[in-house]
Amino acid sequence: MSEEKVKGPTTTGHVWDDDLQELTNPLPRWWIWGFYITFVFTVVYWLFYPAWPIGSGFTKGVPGLNSITYTATTVDGKEVEKTTHWNMRSKYMVEMNELHAAQKQWFDKVAATPYEDVAKDADLMQFVNSAGKTLFSDNCAPCHQAGGQGKIGFSPNLTDDHWQYGGTYEEISHTIVAGRQGYMPPFKEVLKDEQIGQLANYVLSMSGEPHDAAAATAGAALFQSETAACYYCHGADAKGRTQMGSANLTDKIWLWADIPAEKTAEAKVDAVKKIISGGLARGVMPYWNERLKPEQIKLLTVYVHDGLGGGK
Amino acid sequence: MATSSVAAAGAAEQYNYDIVRKFTIMTLVWGAIGMFVGVYIASELAFPWLNFDNPYITFGRLRPVHTGAVIFGFGGSALFATSYYVVQRTCQARLFSDGMANFTFWGWQAVIVCMALGNMMGYSQGREYAEMEWPIDLLIEIVWVTYLIVFVATIMKRKQPHIYVANWFYLAFILATALLHTFNNLAVPIDIFSMKSYSLFSGAQDAMTQWWYGHNSVGFFLTAAFLGMMYYFVPKQAGRPVYSYRLSVLHFWAIIFLYMWAGSHHLHWTAIPDWTSTLAATFSIMLLLPSWGGMINGILTLSGAWDKLRTDPVMRFLIVALSFYGMSTFEGPMMSLKDVNALSHYTDWTVGHVHSGALGWVAMITFGSLYHLVPRLWNTQMHSMRLINVHFWLATIGVLLYITAMWISGIMQGLMWRAFDDFGNLQYSFVESVAAAHPFYIMRAVGGAFFLTGMLIMCYNMFRTIRKGNASEAQASISPAVA
Repeated sequence: MSEEKVKGPTTTGHVWDDDLQELTNPLPRWWIWGFYITFVFTVVYWLFYPAWPIGSGFTKGVPGLNSITYTATTVDGKEVEKTTHWNMRSKYMVEMNELHAAQKQWFDKVAATPYEDVAKDADLMQFVNSAGKTLFSDNCAPCHQAGGQGKIGFSPNLTDDHWQYGGTYEEISHTIVAGRQGYMPPFKEVLKDEQIGQLANYVLSMSGEPHDAAAATAGAALFQSETAACYYCHGADAKGRTQMGSANLTDKIWLWADIPAEKTAEAKVDAVKKIISGGLARGVMPYWNERLKPEQIKLLTVYVHDGLGGGK
Repeated sequence: MATSSVAAAGAAEQYNYDIVRKFTIMTLVWGAIGMFVGVYIASELAFPWLNFDNPYITFGRLRPVHTGAVIFGFGGSALFATSYYVVQRTCQARLFSDGMANFTFWGWQAVIVCMALGNMMGYSQGREYAEMEWPIDLLIEIVWVTYLIVFVATIMKRKQPHIYVANWFYLAFILATALLHTFNNLAVPIDIFSMKSYSLFSGAQDAMTQWWYGHNSVGFFLTAAFLGMMYYFVPKQAGRPVYSYRLSVLHFWAIIFLYMWAGSHHLHWTAIPDWTSTLAATFSIMLLLPSWGGMINGILTLSGAWDKLRTDPVMRFLIVALSFYGMSTFEGPMMSLKDVNALSHYTDWTVGHVHSGALGWVAMITFGSLYHLVPRLWNTQMHSMRLINVHFWLATIGVLLYITAMWISGIMQGLMWRAFDDFGNLQYSFVESVAAAHPFYIMRAVGGAFFLTGMLIMCYNMFRTIRKGNASEAQASISPAVA
């Protein structure tokens, strides 16, 4: 270690471990003044906010210096104005009141306007798209995906023209309010594997997918027969029934079997067979009646119908 | 013990370097492991498929493994090593009991291993930095009291009339940690054969106890203790006296008194009384200058020897550590103000703040101290000064990448979460803020990878140094000097 004598300030005279010493330099002036300034800041802060507990209460800051005035609704529905010392809950009330006031006139207007007229009002639709975007993203997007395009095998696409449970305002609203319970029974105990294969070929044939023509013909007969009784839910024309939420089998839209992703004809047949033999019990949409307010549900209905597009 | 070969050299007068060496090696081991886990979980946040649907390595379980391994494994072992070294050399006294010191070593390593395995298996108290369940807490308690006894008894048998400043800080850290650990972990096990327990406190009191612990772990474990390290290794490496004795006394007592009040600033804008929030904020503001006292005393110790910054990479580690310390102790009080906290709370800004302290200050001061310490423990020279330099730059770039990424993503999150449009509607959904943060999560992982690479280079450099060194000669050459 350094042998030279320390010049300038003297040391305290203590030496540890051969060469550890301490100088007697005074406190840096800016440091001690900085320290004092934090004390001043602290005391001022205490004057503005609740700060010290005293008995079962606490200091509330200088009266009138940092008070908060807000409007609250009492249990019996009366609106009262309150002024209080600064506190987190009152600050929260003030901020929420401000935002609700900005929203309220628009929500009221949406609530008072018939569905069809909301869509025609450009100003109102601007609000629907603004509020609908975050309502949808925070509540619906986890299943229906950002933008509502859905995911095969998980959730239906809300942006196309196909509506499993109906695409009118009233039907969409009912879906949101009450939720949906999609179900298809398994057929593996009822039908032979060969028959399930024939049905799968028939289903694929209706969507213009590669299939075995002979098997599809046999499948068509089976579809209408009492043995399989597919027509009972999917309809004799296989176009589905919105009352039951049964799928339209004649379009190119796939809800559960990911046919577009399957490369070979065999894999496509297997994917459909899997649904027919195992059935479906996953088509559940939760109900939002208790979670969202009626005006929010109405707004979401319009957002899904007109904002995302494709409503009927 | 390794001392047997040199028993002739007046064993009673010698220092116990064996325990220092053991803790030093484990500092390196836990540093490498803990930082690797850190980089891995940072990558999981950027690319969630990295959890491979394996519950044992999901973010939720590995995160406390990371924090435990770096704070208690790396940081804790470094503090055991340096405090045992410093207290012996500045008191001119051998450790009070080799057996008890050895027990603290094996006990502490057992704690870290059990903690890591327990967390991966899913056992957790759900208290940040205190996730260890009650059986591990009891082991910590025993180890820690033993540590306290060894440290205090060594100071009591000192041959120096005055107690060196580094020892004040170490002792404050040991005492405070005992207090914090004991009260925060008061819990009732559901069964004597069960790992599960429930806290003695409930609700807001429970949260406030936890953050009294959490914040003072930062204050005493990660700040006061490492200031103790600083007060020995900076003047030693610089060959200069500590700048101001008066400043060291004043900022020591100010830190000790003020830190204990500040914990509730972690709970701003939650269900705690407003006045606790205010007091925590103001005591945090008053902590700014006392914290800077340590920085000033360290950096000004170099005055008259500034050229060492150009020539000595070890000195560079120590001074950059003090700079990051100064920066994060400025940032902390600012974030504790109610209105700043309204923006920063729950965002990545907090994560960045912690790491500018943990990587920039704690790890850097440890690296510098170990580069000073290891050649002396094994009586040799460092294998490569060039690699120390490479380590320095990797570490510095790594920290800067990390905290810059977290500043940007944190402030962005804070702004997005509370952005409203003209209608009073939220402008962004939560998932949009997640998508916006994604590039910065990648940047953070890259920064962490830089830091980890530096750590691994250090391990290699140390391995080569230790292999060519000679422990028994070091032992023989240290018969205490007479002051």
